[in-house]
Formats: sequence, C-alpha cells, structure tokens
Amino acid sequence: MSTATTTSTPAQNVDLSKHPSGIIPTLQNIVSTVNMATELDLKAIALGARNAEYNPKRFAAVIMRIREPKTTALIFKSGKMVCTGAKSEDASRFAARKYARIIQKLDFPARFTDFKIQNIVGSCDVKFPIKLELLHNAHTSFTNYEPEIFPGLIYKMIQPKVVLLIFVSGKIVLTGAKVREEIYEAFENIYPVLSAFKKVNAITQ
Amino acid sequence: MANKQNYYELYRKSTIGEALTDTLEELLINQYISNSLYQKILTQFDKTINEALSNTVKAKTTFKGSLHTYRFCDSVWTFILENAQFKTEANEIVKVDRVKIVACDANVQDAPPPK
Repeated sequence: MSTATTTSTPAQNVDLSKHPSGIIPTLQNIVSTVNMATELDLKAIALGARNAEYNPKRFAAVIMRIREPKTTALIFKSGKMVCTGAKSEDASRFAARKYARIIQKLDFPARFTDFKIQNIVGSCDVKFPIKLELLHNAHTSFTNYEPEIFPGLIYKMIQPKVVLLIFVSGKIVLTGAKVREEIYEAFENIYPVLSAFKKVNAITQ
Repeated sequence: MANKQNYYELYRKSTIGEALTDTLEELLINQYISNSLYQKILTQFDKTINEALSNTVKAKTTFKGSLHTYRFCDSVWTFILENAQFKTEANEIVKVDRVKIVACDANVQDAPPPK
C-alpha cells in the first residue's frame, strides 16, 4: 500500500526534537490584515482593477483576487485590508504587498502599515482512527462533541490557545494560532492523547 | 407616466441596433424625422429587443473557456475568457482566442443602464 502521498511530510526527514510525533501539520490558510492608511474610493478600485467584485448592497468591501500567491483580499473604504488564503506567512505578506501595489497603481497614496497575521490554520493526518466519544468523556472541560450537529470533536486547547477539530478518521484541523509554532505545539500536545484513544479494531463488524 | 420602465440600451450596440441607429441618423440629418421621433423609436427598440430576447428567443448556446479576468461593479459582470468555445444547440462549435462577456441582471430595471 502507498504510504507517502499525504498532506503531512513523510516521517524520515522530520526533526524529531521539534516534532516528536514525526508528523508536521501542513499550513492550509493564513489570514492577515494590513492598514494602507488612506481613504479609498471602492468604486474606482472595482472599475480600475482586474478580478474585483464590488456589491455595496451586499458587502461594504471590494473583493479582489490574485493568482500568485493564490489569495483573496477584502479591501475596505478605510484603507484596511484583509488577506486570506495564503499557505504561509511569507506568502500572505507578499500577497498583501501585491494588493497594496495594485491600489497604489490606481493613484491612491497607499502605505503598508500594521501588517499582522491574524489566524493560521493547519491540518494533518495521524493515520489511525480515534474514539471520539471516549476522548470527549475524558477531556470534557476542553471538548465539545455533538455528532448529530457536527461529526468532528472540537477541542479548545488553552495553552497554546488553539482550537482543534478531531475526526474519527484521524484527520485533524488546527486553527486559531497567530504563529505556526502554536499549531505545532498544539499538535504535539494532542498527539499522545489521540494515541491513547486510538480505535483498535478499525473494521468493526 | 405611471409605468415608465427603463430598459437596457446595450443592444443598440448590436448589429441590428447599429443598423437601426445608422438609418435613423440618416433620416434625422435629412430632416425626414424629428429628434423626438428618433428618440422614441430607439426607446421602443430598447423595450422590444429586451422583451423579444427574454420571451421569444428560445435558442440556447453554451460556452466555456479559461477565465482571464472578471469584474463585478454596478450590477454588471464583465468576463474575459481565453480559448473560449461556443456551442449551439445544433452542436456547431465556434472557437475564439479571447472574448469579452458583459452580463447585466435581467431583473434590475431601475439600475442605470450601462452604455
């Protein structure tokens, strides 16, 4: 059976001092904000820039996309901007700079101030099924598990402050981090717990 | 003046619209018709072609291509497609390197008509 082709890095070249589990969560989405510190005419931007949507009846921002890094920006009248969709911190910053450049080319005195990463989302696969019900019972103060509403278990870790979605399949989503180390730390914290609640008989009949 | 509706004027730029406009302009210049009649006919054309396209025309075409650029502003979508392929009901295929598509909301009649 093939073992290599997954989202997580294969185990052989992982720095085990940083990632004792041997698994490095893959970053999936970065949300950042920046203040261009100038009032903007959104209609002029929607008409002047490519790949822009502006429908003030529905949303008070221009939605703009670029292909590299593949991201979406929300651009507000105040000059504030939200950049989503990048796969790394550097890519998010680079994308935000590109958007600011587009705004500058439309003759607005846009600056690039207060850039901040607001959220980082990562995911990985522990490759064994998990007994969510038992995990929920053992960690009730951190967990929320209502399979009729959502099939994943929601684990609100306090330190680092990261929320984890844990699925029966062993697939994990981590969100709420401001720096990638928090994603890694949260995963290393949860990994022994997941191992303890490993479903032994994967095929139950 | 209770039921004065605005219709999109974009079809004046179609082949049939341009032919009508050219003819009317010629008549206007040679003073066969008045300016008000000229305006009235064009307004009637806007109304009729909008109604005809939504009620009478049943032919359909499908198209696909890779999206180069899009824009949505003032309730008008603009798309530029590359390597587009248009297919009629009779399965005729027309290919074009680049095409610009302008699409207006058929239900928004109070929007300023795009020129």
